[in-house]
Amino acid sequence: MTQSDTLKIVIVGHVDHGKSTLIGRLFYDTGSIPRVRYQEIAATCRAQGREFEFAYLMDALEEERDQNITIDTASTFFKTAKRPYVIIDAPGHKQFLKNMITGASSADAAILLVDGAEGVREQTKRHAYVLSLLGIRQVVVTVNKLDMVGYDRKVFGAVENDIRGFLHSVGIVPSHVIPVSARQGENMAKRLGHTPWYSGPTVLEALDTFENVHGDRTLPLRLPVQDVYKWDGKRIYVGRVESGEIRKGDEVVFLPSGKITKIKSVEKWRTPDLPSAGAGESIGITTRDELFVERGEVIARRDNAPVRTREIRASIFWLSDRPFQAGASYTLKLATAEVTATAVAIEERLDSSSLEVTERHARELLATEVGNVAFALKNDIAADLYGENIALGRFVIEDGTLISGGGIIRSLAADSGGSVQTVRLDDKFIINDDGSFVDLTRERREVDFYVTAPFLDYLSAGNRVLFRLRDPRQVEPVALMAFEHNLRFSFGRDGEKINLILFRDAGKTATAEPEFGGL
Amino acid sequence: MYHHLDELESQSIYIFREAYRRFENLAMLYSIGKDSTTMIHLARKAFFGRLPFPLVHIDTTYKYPEMIQYRDRMAREWNADLIVGKNAAAIEAGMGPEQGRLLCCEKLKTDGLSRIIEQHGFHGLFLGIRRDEEGSRAKERVFSPRDKNFEWPYKDQPPELWDQFNTSFEPGTHIRVHPILHWTELNIWEYIKREQIEICPLYFAKDGKRFRSLGCMPCTGPITSSAATVDDIIEELKTIKAPERAGRAQDQENAYAMQKLRAKGYM
Repeated sequence: MTQSDTLKIVIVGHVDHGKSTLIGRLFYDTGSIPRVRYQEIAATCRAQGREFEFAYLMDALEEERDQNITIDTASTFFKTAKRPYVIIDAPGHKQFLKNMITGASSADAAILLVDGAEGVREQTKRHAYVLSLLGIRQVVVTVNKLDMVGYDRKVFGAVENDIRGFLHSVGIVPSHVIPVSARQGENMAKRLGHTPWYSGPTVLEALDTFENVHGDRTLPLRLPVQDVYKWDGKRIYVGRVESGEIRKGDEVVFLPSGKITKIKSVEKWRTPDLPSAGAGESIGITTRDELFVERGEVIARRDNAPVRTREIRASIFWLSDRPFQAGASYTLKLATAEVTATAVAIEERLDSSSLEVTERHARELLATEVGNVAFALKNDIAADLYGENIALGRFVIEDGTLISGGGIIRSLAADSGGSVQTVRLDDKFIINDDGSFVDLTRERREVDFYVTAPFLDYLSAGNRVLFRLRDPRQVEPVALMAFEHNLRFSFGRDGEKINLILFRDAGKTATAEPEFGGL
Repeated sequence: MYHHLDELESQSIYIFREAYRRFENLAMLYSIGKDSTTMIHLARKAFFGRLPFPLVHIDTTYKYPEMIQYRDRMAREWNADLIVGKNAAAIEAGMGPEQGRLLCCEKLKTDGLSRIIEQHGFHGLFLGIRRDEEGSRAKERVFSPRDKNFEWPYKDQPPELWDQFNTSFEPGTHIRVHPILHWTELNIWEYIKREQIEICPLYFAKDGKRFRSLGCMPCTGPITSSAATVDDIIEELKTIKAPERAGRAQDQENAYAMQKLRAKGYM
């Protein structure tokens, strides 16, 4: 980690437990407030006849200042001796959950704030659960406003037990639970001596122990195709490596299409021939074969690929005022793929603050509710379990035109490829002395082809291969193969029989006039 | 090996490619400043040296001459399609800051921009704003819609998570895309240094003064500084306490000046 690697933190907790004050205090204690800003706020507070309000720092928008709550996610910046931080202030009011999720979804770590006097409340638990859904594992708990209860060790101890218990149930182990007073500054940047019974770190010390969350280079390769640029006579597939590493010369598979090829180049602007690229890098690649694949396919290594599926079960959270309904269709956006999905069943509806199942086979989920849902997808997508690969294990749910919720994949049914039959074209297909043919007349499923080098060599040697088709719709996969491997074919009909002849014409390109002879 | 600037760069490239894939008729707002110049460099990275959309500069006619010279020279160097827009009617009618700084910004910049968008039928605009610049920008989304009336519904923005952006909108809406929203002022300078990006000479100290933020002559003042190189500026920023836009008079008009301007479509 470089010294100036910024850590993104989100601060969550129940409304009025003191988030904005805590943030203001962090800024003040780290000397991160421009003097002008500090004077502005001091003047506003004087004008309103109140004490200096640290919370005003974050509340940049007018309405917030009037209502004294945080409406949207704002980010601000402070520095410790170790590194800079970006703070995303997540609002506490229930109706603002969507902003909290927007803020928290990009965080490396979280501070969960609990009012020492009030203890763990509904939103404390809901936010903790959302942190677990968003995959934020680095969490520090601050028990705030201890100045209001005379820094009573027993009060702190009771709140600490409560919150540890709940976090355990959602799979979060807090790095520390710290007794603080944001208003007085106790255990924030320094120890003021009110809590001699506490021997752990201050909030800043605890934050400095966290690490940046980057894409993981050691996981299997996942490169979702973001777009295909046909520039400078090349097809460049662009995207960001979400995990693992891609190397020039790698044999890879595109999923869900199942196409296999080799990486010809890994490119960036001004460095068109990189040996490799790793998680987090936005790159372009070219391949040995000019594959006809689109946005949404995922590039992986053949021996460790994501699952091709049409059936997933997920834990979802819903953010829209329009309820999520069993039986309705939505668009799921998973990495760069988009797929129409039907919510087959809301198997469980949960109380997000207690995590108890409140209903089985529910009809709907309302805004801020969570549930376990089975989806049936209209088309294949490539996905992973959330626990195995975060980037391909989570998705957002679009209702109409708006992102209205999100989910993480708990289980998925591998598509055995039942709807598509892959025909392997290798040297074994050469059947008899009459020539070579591929018989598709008994193939009722959709077909695609896995083309091998011996097959291409056979064509390059001037040989022709006859394809016997069941119906004219099977022309398309053959045409696609011809496109991708620079081949030609001729078409012929004899009664109900459909014959294609595939060949390679040495010295000519596939764009030449088609020939109709030879059938 | 994996530097924080690499991460910022990769995220910006991802946003550029996402917008380019999703929207037709895009343009990039070019203010001549360091941020939008950095943004152009990032776009060229995303598109392998190309700028596959035009640059739009809204000229208030109150800009420093050095800015305009620099703009024209760089546009040639980038091989960019540069569109210069003006609210000619307001300029002829004598609009200027003496009639109110906020009104002047609204007429010459916001209205000037709205005309260009209408005239060229742009569906989307790239803007080089950053969250750390000032409060209302901190609340922006990466993909942020503006309705027919150019208004920003900042109280009710749809969620944006895991790099999934809202990409379908009502007719008449145009989308603002913010590829460098997550960068800080210091990041920008560190990146300018690393990538050796040529920026407008007004940023470098001359006779003990330099500009930290560029704008119109009547409303933009230099700061006292001896920072004459990119390295000097990076050092200066590590200790400076004043906000970046302290030299921009329109921000200081009243406590919510920028929020008011931006709710009506200001950049």
